Amino acid sequence: MADKGNSSNPSKKKSMKNFWLWRVASSVKFTVFILLSVALLSIVGTVVEQNRPLETYVMSYGEEWAEFIMTYGLNDMYHATWFTFMLVLLITNIIACTIDRFPSKWKSLLWAKKDFDPAVFERLSRSEEIQIDKNADSAALGVRAILKKKRFKVRESEEGGKNGFYAERGIIGRFGSDFVHLSLLVIILGAILGSFLGYKDYIAILVDGEVEIPNTEIGLRLDNFWIDRYESGQIKQYNSELVVLDKGEEVYKKHIWVNEPMVYKGIRFYQSSWGISWNRIAEAEVTLVKNKVPVGDPVLVDWLDKNEFAGTPFGIKLVGYVSDFAFDMESRTVYSKSGDVENPATMLEVYRNGEVVSTPWTLLHHHGIMATIPGEEGYEVYLTGIRNINYSGISINKDPGTNIVWIGCLIMGLGCYLSFFVYHRRMWIEVAPFNSGVKVKVCGMINKNQMKFDKEFAELLSSIKNIA
Amino acid sequence: MDQPKVVLSLMFFTMAFGFHLATALFYIAHWVFKKKWIGQASTALACVSLFSTSMILVFRAAESGHAPFSNLYESMVLFIWALTLAYLIMEYKYKLRVMGAFVMSIAFISILSAWLLPFRFKSIEQLNPALQNKWDFMVSALTPLGLEKYALGWLDFHVFTTFIGYAAFAIAFGLSIMYLIKVRFEERGRSNVLIDRFPEAKILDEICYQAIAWGFPFLGIGIVSGAVCANEAWGTWWSWDPKETWSLITWLIYAAYLHARVTRGWRGTKSAWLSILGFLAIIFLYWGVSFILPGLHAYA
Repeated sequence: MADKGNSSNPSKKKSMKNFWLWRVASSVKFTVFILLSVALLSIVGTVVEQNRPLETYVMSYGEEWAEFIMTYGLNDMYHATWFTFMLVLLITNIIACTIDRFPSKWKSLLWAKKDFDPAVFERLSRSEEIQIDKNADSAALGVRAILKKKRFKVRESEEGGKNGFYAERGIIGRFGSDFVHLSLLVIILGAILGSFLGYKDYIAILVDGEVEIPNTEIGLRLDNFWIDRYESGQIKQYNSELVVLDKGEEVYKKHIWVNEPMVYKGIRFYQSSWGISWNRIAEAEVTLVKNKVPVGDPVLVDWLDKNEFAGTPFGIKLVGYVSDFAFDMESRTVYSKSGDVENPATMLEVYRNGEVVSTPWTLLHHHGIMATIPGEEGYEVYLTGIRNINYSGISINKDPGTNIVWIGCLIMGLGCYLSFFVYHRRMWIEVAPFNSGVKVKVCGMINKNQMKFDKEFAELLSSIKNIA
Repeated sequence: MDQPKVVLSLMFFTMAFGFHLATALFYIAHWVFKKKWIGQASTALACVSLFSTSMILVFRAAESGHAPFSNLYESMVLFIWALTLAYLIMEYKYKLRVMGAFVMSIAFISILSAWLLPFRFKSIEQLNPALQNKWDFMVSALTPLGLEKYALGWLDFHVFTTFIGYAAFAIAFGLSIMYLIKVRFEERGRSNVLIDRFPEAKILDEICYQAIAWGFPFLGIGIVSGAVCANEAWGTWWSWDPKETWSLITWLIYAAYLHARVTRGWRGTKSAWLSILGFLAIIFLYWGVSFILPGLHAYA
């Protein structure tokens, strides 16, 4: 704990370090204040729903509060200027604390003269004196062996027949907090890089369809999309088979599902949604009827393909589809009212002896509303079945900051380990001849976990007493 | 729809409930009457509670066909398991049974609240697509044995480490309450039979710090592994979802605790209050966010 408080800085450097602003910026109290403020302010964004349209706020909070929310950016508060400012304060505080404390810590721990200094016996409270019946040499040998066995780094000195030992271990633990602070800066750096250099996008791609990926030269093809279900019928997983195309060539292939994205040249492709196409089908089943009685078997026709009704002069070609049929009176066009398969309809070209005789829209659920083959008494085509095409919704994301963030997390793990579980212990031992034996003075300190140290100290004393 | 059978895990839940009640009562009795045999019995009961809680998890995994960390009820059991285990380790290390009266009472309150959950929270759910996150190496290792459905992944790791963190913080919460009571008596030089049986305030503060020294990195690992999951499922490692934000809030409060503890004048009472505040934030993070605030993290 000793060096974490106000470290004793020589009075020489008065100028900057005594300036009040610096003292505030580099104080731990300020750290606690910022940490708690960021914690408290963050609550706001969990209560006020983020990134909603203005109307939502007016509806739930009334006009005045909605104005307040928009003015102070509470609708997107984690990106608001004042929240960013708090984070800047935190970073400033981390850097200021490091500048303030690190150099003197570094010096005092690593570079200062660490030879044995008898003055410590007066200074430290954890100090004991024991007498053993051994000559000075073998006692010194024993003490050295004990310290080595406990994995201490030992420095010895001799003065006036007294052997002095300075021993320490776990010094790296003192730097744990510095690693944690560094890791926070690395994570924030990764986040900033990601937000400037990365991008997000979304594409819907039909089974067997191809699309160009925005911002890149490459294309993407979907070979298959399917849903796995549990026996109960509940959805287990969504799957897509993706192929990356570079100038039309297949360069990479992967089966992706939720939690298993495809990564190609730093761009990640995620399974994010799926649906049924509203403007295309794989196949239609069409029945020819005369006076509402089917003539022969229904025929199947692929998308943009032709088929004949065997034994009749009629043929059809499947040329259009909408999933929710609607007709716009003004422009006299057909469109899909929604993306759902509510009222599917196909546009067919009807042929007679190879000549197009009509191009009717036929509705799956409503037969005979419109005459489909005008002029051919009694003959009509009915749409009796469709096979839908699925599309797979793929999120595309490039975030070059992510790996930096993970590196930051690893540094943080290391820092936490060092600062919580590696303790810096220091021991000073003096072996001096006394009467027929020797007198051994032992003292020591630890930077944290005093209870553990008390135990270790007692163990050390008892093993010194029992030096063989 | 066929509901998988949950008979054995519910039986062990009933057992664990009874044993936790007995454990808490015995620890309190030991605190009040200071009889050695009550103390030994309470430790034995705590071990039995731990065993029956472990059995809930084992049978739950067998019944559901996946690692038992997927909904609020299962995570409560995991929390109670981790809390009891952590407490027993702590008791073994510090040889202080008085703490059991507080910590095992928290464990009992937790199992009581899990018991009071409506049944729909206890039924077994099959994992939705976003929860299916498995490590490839584990899937390929278990496939020859036909056990691939039990393979673990980042998500299980995320839940597991988070709840070890929560357990450590629950212990710290109990110790901070004890500390605040004890320090009042010490400062005023007052004496009370029950309070005198607490360890010194200094020691309570030290053990509380140790608990947070475990909880803080584990919560950190939990947050980071959650970010890894989110990155694999949605392509963003952080999206300021209420659960994420609250986990950060909690982490910041404990970070404030760690800093307050090394600041002159803030060590002791003020940092103990921060530890209590931190645990209240955990309770909100765990239950409040799931029930009150909308977000991606709807399960547990």
